[in-house]
Amino acid sequence: MVGGGISGLTAAVEAAEAGFDVLLLEKKPGLGGRVAQLNLYFPKLCSPNCGLEIIFKRLAANSRFRFLTSAEVIAVSGGEGSFEVVVNLKPTFVKENCTGCGRCAEVCPAERPNAFNFGFDRTKAAYLPHRLAFPYRYVIDGEACRGPSCARCTAACPYGAIDLEMEARTLILKAGSVIWAAGWEPYDTARLGNYGGGRYPNVITNMVLERMASPGGPTSGKILRPSDRREPASIAFVQCAGSRDENHLRTCSGVCCLVSLKQAAYVRECCPEARLAMFYIDIRARGFYEDFYARVREGTGIELTKGKPGEIREDPATGNLLVLVENQLNGRVLEENFELVVLAAGMAPSALCAGLPASARDRDGFVSPVLAPGFYAAGCATRPMEVAPAVRSGAAAALRAVQWLGRRGHGR
Amino acid sequence: MAAKIGVYLCSGCGIGEVLDPAGLLQVAEDDRRVALVRESDFFCGQDAGLIQGDVTDRVVDAVVLAACSPRFYVKVFDYGPGLPVVRVNLREQVAWCHESGSEDTQMLAEDALRMALARAGGSAVPEPFRLENPSRAILVVGGGLAGLTAALEAARAAYRVILVERENSLGGWLRNVYRCAPLRPPYAESAENPFHLLSREVESHPGIVVYRGASIERTAGGPGQFDVTVRQGERLLKERVGSIIVATGAGAYDPAKLTRLKNLAYGTSPNIIVSSKFEELALRGGGRVARPSDGREVRRAAFIQCAGSRDPEHLPYCSAACCVETLKQAQYLLEPDPDCTVFIYYRDLRANGQYEHFYKKVQEEGAVFIQGEVVHVADRGGSLSVEADDLSLGCRSRVEGLDLVVLATGMIPDVAGGGPEQGALKLDYRQGPELPALKYGFPDSHFICFPYETRRTGIYAAGSVREPMDLVTTLEDAAGAALKAIQCVEMTARGQAVHPRALDVSYPEFNMSRCTQCKRCTEECPFGAINEDAGSNPLPQITRCRRCGTCLGACPERIVSFKDYSVALISSMIKAIEVPDGDEEKLRVLVFACENDAYPALDLAGAAGLKYNAWVRIIPLRCLGSLNPVWIADAMSRGIDGVLLMGCRQGEDYQCHFINGSELARTRIMNVSETLDRMGLEAGRIKMVEVEIIDYTKIPAILDGFADELAALGPNPLKGF
Amino acid sequence: MKTLKGAGAAQPLLYDCGFAREIYALEGGAQLKRCMQCGVCAVSCPSRQEMDYTPRRLFSLIRAGRKEEVLDANTIWVCTSCCTCRVRCPRGIDILGLMHELQFYYLRSWFKVHSRASFQQAFWQELRERGRIGEAGVMLRCWLKEGGLTGAVLKSLEMKGTGLRLLRRGRLRLIPPKIEGLTGLNKIIDKALAQQGYAE
Ligand SMILES: Cc1cc2nc3c(=O)[nH]c(=O)nc-3n(C[C@H](O)[C@H](O)[C@H](O)COP(=O)(O)OP(=O)(O)OC[C@H]3O[C@@H](n4cnc5c(N)ncnc54)[C@H](O)[C@@H]3O)c2cc1C
Ligand code: SF4
Ligand code: SF4
Repeated sequence: MVGGGISGLTAAVEAAEAGFDVLLLEKKPGLGGRVAQLNLYFPKLCSPNCGLEIIFKRLAANSRFRFLTSAEVIAVSGGEGSFEVVVNLKPTFVKENCTGCGRCAEVCPAERPNAFNFGFDRTKAAYLPHRLAFPYRYVIDGEACRGPSCARCTAACPYGAIDLEMEARTLILKAGSVIWAAGWEPYDTARLGNYGGGRYPNVITNMVLERMASPGGPTSGKILRPSDRREPASIAFVQCAGSRDENHLRTCSGVCCLVSLKQAAYVRECCPEARLAMFYIDIRARGFYEDFYARVREGTGIELTKGKPGEIREDPATGNLLVLVENQLNGRVLEENFELVVLAAGMAPSALCAGLPASARDRDGFVSPVLAPGFYAAGCATRPMEVAPAVRSGAAAALRAVQWLGRRGHGR
Repeated sequence: MAAKIGVYLCSGCGIGEVLDPAGLLQVAEDDRRVALVRESDFFCGQDAGLIQGDVTDRVVDAVVLAACSPRFYVKVFDYGPGLPVVRVNLREQVAWCHESGSEDTQMLAEDALRMALARAGGSAVPEPFRLENPSRAILVVGGGLAGLTAALEAARAAYRVILVERENSLGGWLRNVYRCAPLRPPYAESAENPFHLLSREVESHPGIVVYRGASIERTAGGPGQFDVTVRQGERLLKERVGSIIVATGAGAYDPAKLTRLKNLAYGTSPNIIVSSKFEELALRGGGRVARPSDGREVRRAAFIQCAGSRDPEHLPYCSAACCVETLKQAQYLLEPDPDCTVFIYYRDLRANGQYEHFYKKVQEEGAVFIQGEVVHVADRGGSLSVEADDLSLGCRSRVEGLDLVVLATGMIPDVAGGGPEQGALKLDYRQGPELPALKYGFPDSHFICFPYETRRTGIYAAGSVREPMDLVTTLEDAAGAALKAIQCVEMTARGQAVHPRALDVSYPEFNMSRCTQCKRCTEECPFGAINEDAGSNPLPQITRCRRCGTCLGACPERIVSFKDYSVALISSMIKAIEVPDGDEEKLRVLVFACENDAYPALDLAGAAGLKYNAWVRIIPLRCLGSLNPVWIADAMSRGIDGVLLMGCRQGEDYQCHFINGSELARTRIMNVSETLDRMGLEAGRIKMVEVEIIDYTKIPAILDGFADELAALGPNPLKGF
Repeated sequence: MKTLKGAGAAQPLLYDCGFAREIYALEGGAQLKRCMQCGVCAVSCPSRQEMDYTPRRLFSLIRAGRKEEVLDANTIWVCTSCCTCRVRCPRGIDILGLMHELQFYYLRSWFKVHSRASFQQAFWQELRERGRIGEAGVMLRCWLKEGGLTGAVLKSLEMKGTGLRLLRRGRLRLIPPKIEGLTGLNKIIDKALAQQGYAE
């Protein structure tokens, strides 16, 4: 299993429970992937951690399941029954016997921007990936760490779990089949110059808003504009920020409409007075999500305007933002003032590793669910999708991955 | 029952700094069942071998480990199925969230250890429930795209498959379809209809038995031993299967009902047709579509989306596939004849994800997309017109001279299977004959993270039977369901529960001699695992059971118990709590916490260093639905001042993996309040809250708030009796 | 900003695809089919306040076959060729190129003189006669077309300040020399136009 996001974890737990041995490799220090960063899920507005908890619980007890974190798969070769997987193990400077007591972070003098919260706060160089991390184990950021000359953590750790000399390693592992579930990356909105992405502090992405709204996030769940840490009186959601765009992501990301609606719903809870507006081309709330759309529309009073903003301008004095968009009913261009703009940025496919057949990649950079005999893909690595289909595709990939064993007499 | 308990006291991770080990040692020594006590600050690492050694040497037959939360190091502290391990959560729920060195904290830790000892001493080792000769065959009901795919995928993993299709030929909905919307990247070209190929492959696969023109008369038994009676014409066939995939698909919205949509003028002209009719015309014409009124070729056509869908009067939901289906149908007209004029009226063009490429393609082929609401369709002497409030023009617009108007009608549940009235499974279940519907008659899972979480164990829905779905999603869904079906038969054969208590081998046992036939367990079991026999006695079907313990909570006679989870066991834990006399002014609060959400939330509060009062005594429950009211009475008569139930969210967006645990608990405590009254106690001593895992920041407010309420009520008058 | 004939009125606007087909047949015209009416171009255009219809709206009118509204609107003439719309259009449509095509289409087949067409004509006249564009020349020609001699004189006086400033900075040459090989250039242009079906 390459990737410990929701699709990879699902494939792993389902295959392990069906009676197959699974080794999961995740390049980040913790499992969970992108959903671990989300505040709440649409359409139920429930926490992703609830599902992750159950998956972790099932995995923690399963002797057929093993995993490595900080382990990036860089190449895959071979074929069904005899794959070789090359893994780069990044040094975390903390050994597996870490108990998660946190003494190292208490004494660590160095800090680093917290990537999990998109740099909106800082952690010590010795840090827990996040509050609900699995494994519950500290890691040390090699770049921020002052190195063996400091070593205060080494002295503080009661369990001798710290090894500041730890080095990167490369492993070559064998597998009968491989599932590629490397997921997605948020589209880099700094490339959306006309929206001031990455330039105007109060233009943020939907992922940043997820972290902000999360109780474990940088603002402990408060929605604050980055420029002055004030609660915004008005928020605009700008859809298709980079998606459905020949200059950026040519495909629709399929979830951003629902994400913005969801965000409107939870922002409404904490900012009951704020003006909420959403600018869109189509509201793609397919299937039963229509109910959710209707519920949010009515429940939040969000203003919905059909039209894709062409430009966002900042007033440097106030940090407020002028959103320029055409009202299509009368063809007039509106210039609307907002205190915070949320760009509904889409999903770009994660980088591929060596050994994936070039033909497997489609023109959007996603890969086919069936790459080669014994080599399958799941989740957002195959196309943009929300959690439920990602889980289903994880289960589907798990089945395909065990079929060859079935043919060799494992099943009945 | 354990007679030689080993107690392992960990002082690592700050525990040693907060607690006095002497007190804990004393508690252990006071218990006759304790055979040995060891201390270390690193049982999970360096000293892990100590426990293993004691187990191997048979010095102990149960382990009580007072260390971190049971959520961690599960495999490290696993000594095989015969050896119960009870964890005392001293790290997250004592040391990390209570004052160091305080008397209250110490009392809490000691009580926690006493409760764990009671639990370890009272638990027996569960023996898995193994069927004699479990079937590993998989039944697939419905031979459409989902059913065919599921059957093939399961058969490719070498599982025997039985496929039952109502019609005389396979293919389902796709039998009446000319071509399919794109099925694979780059999602820009429509695909050949795969059903011929699939059905041929299914029919010729040696591992698949196909019954065509057949339906299910009865499904009895449970996972691993479903006894299915299939009717094929006059023949009745018996099959035994291990699990079931329901893939009976969806049907099209009844066109007759569209006549109520006056603006669409359906029924007023032969040339105003629904999309399935259009598909049929295309199929019959080999791609060429002739107009129904006179068979002339269609040169100008309009498609109208959401005919009945996204309409509170008809189908309030979006049917998910129609936009893309219409794109495909527009191509039928545009590809052979680029001069053909096609208008597509839509509200939002839902070509989600990579279907965007298909949308673009059809735009390039010349279809004119008009966003807006159609106000009027009319047929004047064979020439049709459509009028709409046109959003892109910003005014009302009109199209005339159309040969054909196609209304994109939506999906409704389970028609291929005979509709909800006729039924596809005819389950012999106390809880009803079919998969229970979630929304609008579709039996979908309630869970985002667990789309295969089913309310009928071992029976999985796949494809558009569960919710409106497009073909690409259906293909994945069917393969996923096949895995779940395989997994279920394997786990059942091992005697294990399936998700969410996966791997659990305990199961409920009924002491029938004391049963009063009150039927509460049979009614309340959320999974229909308990039928009734002719004499109204409960008839448990263990392989259907998900081990929630709802039956245990429901039974007023306390005759349902698991080897390691029973009314008596939890009662003994409650009795292990030392309740100081009233004048000491130390409240005691018993917390029943749902294992899935509330318990981890309590852990997280500790991990975040949040502090709350040390009066709480926490007992995790499998589900609040397993709460037996006797425990509340027990707690009250022990002098405990209040009982707090921490469950998951109820209502429409419920979060309970056992369907309605919180709700059941609420009803039960309402009934208890009468008893309390009789005991002279206030109803306010019992409270229920909904807690999600992410609510951990609210834990102190919840617990301290309740303690304040109890303080206001004064001590439990039964203290010291 | 213009409101449409028919907007709000009793008569709904009638779709007629003939005109759209003509436009789709122009060089690059077929791209227009891809327009998803998002409205980015409408907002991005710096001349949008001057325009009768924003580009998006113009395209929806083309699709509806509203030839008259499209060609009588000033939109295609007000376009300054800044290219912002083209850079931003999420469907990658060469809107700018389409504007030029529409200008040609107008001149070729719409037998009216658009008040705003003079700049485009002046531009081409200058190019044809001098082989290069001189700001002064283009403006003079344009003003002559728009207001005759008197108009041109008045306008020149009005713009005197700007002109002088430009002159002082060396940004403006009153009468730039013709290029060598002007005939050759004209031949090239003629050929290109002929190839695109614009034989003059
Ligand atoms: C702002 C936003 C909000 C969203 N909200 C919701 C919502 O509310 N509800 C919902 O249903 N969906 C939501 N989604 C969609 C949801 O996030 C995705 O469906 C989900 O994350 C897909 O999971 P995945 O496992 O496919 O990918 P990921 O979560 O990206 O997991 C992939 C994992 O693979 C790892 N990896 C990558 N490459 C390698 C390698 N070479 N070696 C080892 N490991 C590797 C990554 O580190 C990562 O952990 C949202 C999306 C966005 C953009
Ligand atoms: S434990 Fe739950 S699923 Fe099993 S019989 Fe009892 S109520 Fe039903
Ligand atoms: S920006 Fe492009 S797609 Fe959007 S309205 Fe303008 S031309 Fe159409």
